[in-house]
Amino acid sequence: MQLQQLSIVQFKNYIQQRFEFTERITGICGKNGIGKTNLLDAVYYLGFTKSYFTKTDAANTHHGATGFRIEGVFEKEANTHKVVCILRETGKKEFYYNEQAYDKMAQHIGRFPAVFIAPDDVHIITEGSEERRRFMDALFSQLDSHYLQQLMEYNKVLQQKNSYLKLLAERSVSDYSLLDVYDAQLVKTGSSVYEKRNAYLQQLLPLAGTFYQQIAGVDEGLELAYQTSLHQYPMQQLLQQNRDKDIAAQRTTQGIHRDDIGMSFSGEVFKTTASQGQRKSLLFALKLAEFEMLKITKGFAPLLLLDDVFEKLDASRMHNLLQWVCVQNNGQVLITDTHKERLQQHLAALQKPFQLIEL
Amino acid sequence: MQFSSSLLENAVNEFSKLPGIGKKTALRLVLHLLKQDVGRVQMFSDAVTTLRQQIKYCQRCFNIADANTCSICASPLRKQRMICVVENIRDVIAIEATQQYSGTYHVLGGIISPLDGVGPDQLNIEALVHRLQQEQTEELIFALNPNIQGDTTIYYIQKKTQHLPVKVTTIARGIAFGGELEYADEMTLGRSISNRLPVERLVK
Repeated sequence: MQLQQLSIVQFKNYIQQRFEFTERITGICGKNGIGKTNLLDAVYYLGFTKSYFTKTDAANTHHGATGFRIEGVFEKEANTHKVVCILRETGKKEFYYNEQAYDKMAQHIGRFPAVFIAPDDVHIITEGSEERRRFMDALFSQLDSHYLQQLMEYNKVLQQKNSYLKLLAERSVSDYSLLDVYDAQLVKTGSSVYEKRNAYLQQLLPLAGTFYQQIAGVDEGLELAYQTSLHQYPMQQLLQQNRDKDIAAQRTTQGIHRDDIGMSFSGEVFKTTASQGQRKSLLFALKLAEFEMLKITKGFAPLLLLDDVFEKLDASRMHNLLQWVCVQNNGQVLITDTHKERLQQHLAALQKPFQLIEL
Repeated sequence: MQFSSSLLENAVNEFSKLPGIGKKTALRLVLHLLKQDVGRVQMFSDAVTTLRQQIKYCQRCFNIADANTCSICASPLRKQRMICVVENIRDVIAIEATQQYSGTYHVLGGIISPLDGVGPDQLNIEALVHRLQQEQTEELIFALNPNIQGDTTIYYIQKKTQHLPVKVTTIARGIAFGGELEYADEMTLGRSISNRLPVERLVK
C-alpha cells in the first residue's frame, strides 16, 4: 500500500496544496509551525476519518474558513484507490472511497491503516494506566470488532453499577441482589475482554520488547507484562471478594477497567528510572509492535507516520530505528524533521531511494 | 416572542411545556383554539381536567384505568395466569395493537438505571413478586427494550422470582419482519444466527 498523491484544501494551516509521494520513504522538513505535523495528520485523516490530535472536525479547518477537503490517491494491490474527505460548511463530514460515499465512517477504518508516532505520545509511558489501556484498546478494536463491543458493554454496565453503589450508600439498602445482577453482566463481558487482552498482549509485548532491544542496541533488562488482578482470580470471584470494599468505596475497585501494562527495568519502575531517550525508545517499541500486529492481521504494512522523531534519541538509537523502519520494513514511511541537513544525512545513510519535501 | 395579551401569553407558555411543542407550535395551537366556539374549547379543557383528576392506575398491573382494576385485568377473556412485563403504558398500547397477546400486563413504570437515579425500589417490582405469589402465574413474559438496562432489569426480576414455579420468557430479538439482512446491524444479525429458530415454529 502506498499513498501517491495528497491534496489538501483549507486544512489547518494549508490553504491549498498538492503533494506527490514518489518514493516509499519520504522526508518532510521545514521550520517550526510550517505544517509538517499537519501534513501527517491529513494522511492520518484519510485512514481514520478523524484527526490524530483534535477531537472536533471543525477545529481542523484553516483559520477563518469553514470546511476542508483532503483527497488522497493510494496504490494497493496494483490498483489505485481514491479517498476523499470533505467537511462541509454546515459541519457535516462526507467520506468517499472511489467516488462512493460511506454511510458510516466505521466502514472505512481499517482499509488504509496507519500508525502515527508523535512526540506527545510519550504520555502512553509516563501517564497513568488509563493511557496504556486506551493504547491497547484502540489497537485491539482494530483487530477485532467484537472486542470493542464487549468493552463498551462492560463500561456501560460498570457505570450503572458504580452509580448504584453510590445510591446504596445514600439509602443504606442491604439488599444486594441488583449488585449480583450487575456482577453477572460484568463477568460475561469482562472475562471475554480479559481473554482477548491476554491473547493479544502475549503477541504485542514480546514484539515491543524485541523492538526496544533493537533500538537500544543492548539488552537493558526491560520487562513488559500484562498487569491485571484477573491473573490471580477469575472475574466472578474477584467481584465477589471485593463486594464489601466496593460498597465502602462506592465504586468497583477491581476488574479489567484497572488493567495496565507493567513496565520495569530489571525490577525498577520504568516510568521513574528511565531517561527521556529511553522512554521515547519504549514508545517507539510499543508503536512498532502495534505496526507489526496490524501488518500481520491485514496482510500488508500500514503507513508509518513519524513526527519529530530525531528529538531526544542518540545517534545510534536513531540509526537502529531508521534501519528497521526504512530498510527492514517494506511499507511506506513519512518522516518529519526541522533540520534539512540532518534528515538528508540520516536518510542517505540508509542507501535506499528517498524523496525530500521541503515546506 | 411579544404578545399583546397576557392571557394569550399564559396559554402559549402552558402549551409549550408539553413534550415536543415549541413556542411557535404552541402559538399555532392556541390561536386555533381561539377560533373555536367557547363551548368546544370548554369540552377540550374539561376532557383534560377530568382525565387528570379521575384517571386511576390499576391496582393489579399499574396500567391506566377508569376503575380500580383496568379493563384488561377485569376481562374474563384474558389469560389471567400470564403476565407480560413492560416498561410503561406506551408499551402496553404497542403490544395491544398487535392483537397477538391475550394475557395480562404488569407496568414497571421505568427501568433499572441508577445513572438516571432509578433503582429497583422506585419500580413496581415488589408488587410483581407479590402478584406471582398470589395469582399462581404460569408464565412471565418480559417485553423490555433490548439494551443493557433492559437486560439488567430482566436478570434482577428473574433473581427475585426464581424460587417461584413460573416459566420466564422474553420477547425474541432479531431481524425485523420485512427487513433486509444486508442492512441489519452486525450485532442483531449475529444474535439471530446464534438464536436461530426451527422452521416448523416459524411457520406456525
